Amino acid sequence: MKLLITTLFIVSSWAMASEPHDHDGHSDMMHHSHEGHLHNELVDGEKLEVNPDRFDKFVLNLTNTQVAVISVKGMVCDFCARGIEKTFQKDKLVKKIDVDLAQGKVLLAYDKGIEIVFEDIQNKILANGINAIKMQILVI
Amino acid sequence: MGMYLYILFFILVSSNVEARPISYSGGSTLMMFSDNMKDSLYYHYSPSYKYSVGIENLKDKNLRDNYSYLRFTYLINRKNSLHSQRNLYFQSGLSSKSGNDLFYGIHGDWETRRWFLGFDTKKVENRLKSYNQNHVQIGFAPYLGEYGDIHTWLMLKTKKTSIKDKRSSYPALKFFKGNTLLEFGYNNKTDWDIHLMYRF
Repeated sequence: MKLLITTLFIVSSWAMASEPHDHDGHSDMMHHSHEGHLHNELVDGEKLEVNPDRFDKFVLNLTNTQVAVISVKGMVCDFCARGIEKTFQKDKLVKKIDVDLAQGKVLLAYDKGIEIVFEDIQNKILANGINAIKMQILVI
Repeated sequence: MGMYLYILFFILVSSNVEARPISYSGGSTLMMFSDNMKDSLYYHYSPSYKYSVGIENLKDKNLRDNYSYLRFTYLINRKNSLHSQRNLYFQSGLSSKSGNDLFYGIHGDWETRRWFLGFDTKKVENRLKSYNQNHVQIGFAPYLGEYGDIHTWLMLKTKKTSIKDKRSSYPALKFFKGNTLLEFGYNNKTDWDIHLMYRF
């Protein structure tokens, strides 16, 4: 029995460790369809630190979509965030944008097949004088 | 009633507050400003978040003159943290009157969603008189608005101009929503201050 438990533990640990990771702070995530509770999902074991109401409103009616939740530093006012929104409005790959000032997050919705490159997002956010430090992706 | 009087008090005795002197990359800003020293219309463009160039047309109430400044502002240092941002800027302007008419100085601020601290020191040189202008301000947001809400700041500002050698301190009230900022007030020493800004 001990051997079975130990084997299961090792196998499950290995399986979890082999989930995709990115050294740029980019973590990928899972697929879910329980609309209205997506903010409770774990992405690589971490809860999304978003405003639940704001996030659920953002993902409402989105399908075949991946949402990049970008954590930023220095976004302390509406004016700072306004530039970020304008920058991503020019990006035709971005379907929808929102900013969560309280949590320091930028939410970007892309079609499912799009490759989301964190470095590109970092550069666009840096063009506004703000630092993007982490990305989590939630597939809907 | 109490809140009404509170707001009325700030409206009646407030002053201007400097807004961010550089926009996001590719952003433009139009500012209209009026106080006891000048009436000004200032447009600036930011090719990068690190600097802006602009032109300010002003009516100098002290010199009783009209002229323009070609302005340049540079971000010397910025520190972003999770809940705050700190900035240090170099600011300068070259007058349309002559190459000897100019100003230069330093502007610094530290800001969270709740608190704001800022200072501004400027040396103005022209053919008639040279003087210094110094501002210090502290701000407090009475509530934390979400993105897109109307944001309100209660500010306390002190300013001194060597040309008048008097320091005046007074509260200020600032609102902004979306791309627009409005700030105004009245001080019995310096009269009305009004500042309107639009970013596009």
